[in-house]
Amino acid sequence: MLDILSEKFQSIFSKIREKGKISESDIKQSLREIKLALLEADVHYKVVKDFIVKLEEKVNQEVLSKTLTPGQQIIKITHGILTEILGEKQIKININEKIPTTILLIGLQGSGKTTTAVKLALTLKNNGHIPLLVAADRIRPAAIEQLSILGGEAGIDVFTGNINKSAIDTILEAEQWAKKYKYNVTIIDSAGRLHIDQELIQELKKIKNSIQVHETLLVLDALMGQDALRVANDFNNEVGVDGFILTKLDGDARGGVALSLRSRTNLPIKFAGVGEKITDLEPFYPDRISSRILGMGDTLTLIEKIEASYARNELQNMGGKVFREQFNLNDFYEQLKKIKKMGSLENIFNLMPFQFSSSLKNIKQDFGDEEKGLKRVEAIICSMTKQERLDPDIINGSRRRRIARGSGTTVNEVNRLLNQFFKMKKFLKQRTGLDSLVPFMRK
Amino acid sequence: MLASLKTGLKKTRDSLIDKYDMLFTDAVKDKNLFLEKIEELLILSDIGPRTTEEILTRFQAINIHQYKMNDFNYFKKYLKQILIELIPATDDAFIINPEILNIVMVVGVNGTGKTSFAGKLAYYFKDGALDTLLVPADTFRAGAIEQLTYLAKQIDVEVMRTSAGSEPASVVFDSIHSAKAKKKKLLIIDTAGRLHTYSNLMKELEKVKRVIKKNAPEAALNIILVIDATTGQNGLAQAISFKESLNISSITLTKLDGTSKGGIVFTIQKDLLIPVSFLTYGEKITDLCRYDTEKFIEILLN
Ligand SMILES: Nc1nc2c(ncn2[C@@H]2O[C@H](COP(=O)(O)OP(=O)(O)O)[C@@H](O)[C@H]2O)c(=O)[nH]1
Ligand SMILES: [Mg+2]
Repeated sequence: MLDILSEKFQSIFSKIREKGKISESDIKQSLREIKLALLEADVHYKVVKDFIVKLEEKVNQEVLSKTLTPGQQIIKITHGILTEILGEKQIKININEKIPTTILLIGLQGSGKTTTAVKLALTLKNNGHIPLLVAADRIRPAAIEQLSILGGEAGIDVFTGNINKSAIDTILEAEQWAKKYKYNVTIIDSAGRLHIDQELIQELKKIKNSIQVHETLLVLDALMGQDALRVANDFNNEVGVDGFILTKLDGDARGGVALSLRSRTNLPIKFAGVGEKITDLEPFYPDRISSRILGMGDTLTLIEKIEASYARNELQNMGGKVFREQFNLNDFYEQLKKIKKMGSLENIFNLMPFQFSSSLKNIKQDFGDEEKGLKRVEAIICSMTKQERLDPDIINGSRRRRIARGSGTTVNEVNRLLNQFFKMKKFLKQRTGLDSLVPFMRK
Repeated sequence: MLASLKTGLKKTRDSLIDKYDMLFTDAVKDKNLFLEKIEELLILSDIGPRTTEEILTRFQAINIHQYKMNDFNYFKKYLKQILIELIPATDDAFIINPEILNIVMVVGVNGTGKTSFAGKLAYYFKDGALDTLLVPADTFRAGAIEQLTYLAKQIDVEVMRTSAGSEPASVVFDSIHSAKAKKKKLLIIDTAGRLHTYSNLMKELEKVKRVIKKNAPEAALNIILVIDATTGQNGLAQAISFKESLNISSITLTKLDGTSKGGIVFTIQKDLLIPVSFLTYGEKITDLCRYDTEKFIEILLN
């Protein structure tokens, strides 16, 4: 059920547990697994190498504590280093209250600049500023329309100027306009460009030479791989960058890019884009991303919660083949209830590794409010016959209609529940379950 | 076409010789160092750590001390060979039949280049005199309809009139009937970008596909997932989800004119058996070519 750690990682730790002592080769193996986890999160190759060297040093230095298992210990040290690199506090944008501020958004094609410009403007507006958006993407067809429509939605003025004018002329006019009409923040949406496109890089330099830009923010996509660091460095070296905005963090990308940026540039990540709506912009919280990068959620907290709600042998049973093969709707419901017992679903999501939490999120998405959602799930399952609960494959169309009627829900809801169930079942067959946490639990 | 792909990639190509040269110089001294260099090369291409391990294992087998300094060409060939062998044979990546109605549905996460690709594809088939209708079924993102409409005008291809906010499935329904009435041969449907983790948005696409299947069961349908070369390991998750929801027919890899290699698409081909149909390498309407394994591997290893 949980893709906490890969099977190998898990088996290393269970070995360690059995022996109660960590050997040199155990450490080597777990370092290797952490290296893989980081690379799978798209952390840059060189950053990973440095990280592992540092981790190895620390692991060798630290005396093993008695309260934690060695597995927990290594994870704790790993988290510690991650947090150290990512920085703990979040950094705000610099807005001078006295003089008008100009913010320039730059980035590759398709990274999310236009949407981010509007989100940022809305955030600033909600903080009492008077923002003006400037449509300086003169390259992509309909980019100006996009900004105008979104600006309109957000109730923010957009300076488009004459569409035949160049980006630079538009920006110069917009600056005059902003001064005249007393906007105190100007946000420039520039055209997407490659970091190696000399002509367009020159254009950015020219913009920065002709007006005073207070903040140049590079918008990067959290789905990016190894090249992200190079892109960031190139833009920074060529044009000068004051900080980053990471977009598309609402998906299941592990966001290793954040670690690369923080360890190889001295620049802060200021905001995170978390959805397609104009309100979906958040300050960047370094501590949240660190669990995510390792792909294991906030394992230590999760372990504590699980220890409180599950008995050890219960978890071990769940790892058994029998459980996985014969997983039925009764088990499904039991799992949902248990997880619910550990706290609000929302909180649990934040602790969990991504793959699993997104499947829970779907349940929430499909059934709405979690309390009611769980009740509806319960009603649906209770309206099934014993046979149906044990062997959900037999639930055909007419049975679904009967169940919907019996539970006061709709066939659609029954379908969705069954879909979730089959998904989870498939997942269980492939992956380690909650039982993968057993090696980390205290006896 | 190949020529322009080459100029697009020239910037990175220059360093190729150096890289292999260095690999080899090191190799003579130390095999571990040599393997590490190859690891770096592969990881940096976004091929992913698991695939990289697989490739390195094959490399373990050879005795590098046997070769001389100027043999770096041999290593390049060897590496290339390993990579080619790892790509499984699949069905045809892209099927087009000028006798009947062909439907291409373009899907993917946000900002990968779907709309541009739809335009490029329409232009690509213009020579073949396939009467085409472009369908802006991205009714969600502000300005997306205008963007495709503008591209269509530029290349003089008919575009379906659509209004923002309308339901994608009904836009597609209308356009199928319009295409049939006008005896169109190619229908290219641009859809809104979406992250694969939103089940409701994936269901919206499933519905579009059902509408196509129901209203044009006789048509040849290609569902193409657009992945952008900058994409890292998340590309695999994208491909898994889109495959599960839509049983996509192929992948188009975009933005190869940058410095990213799109290595995750290699791993997707290998692990999920999804073929690649097209590559794009720039913002011009002509910056599109058919996929070719040799070419792709050449890009990866540059
Ligand atoms: N450099 C480069 N840019 C591209 C390529 N394909 C698309 N783009 C750009 O990427 C951005 C997003 O493209 P678009 O087609 O709107 O993406 P969509 O959101 O997936 O429809 C636009 O600025 C395009 O011009 C390509 O092959 N190379
Ligand atoms: Mg689009």
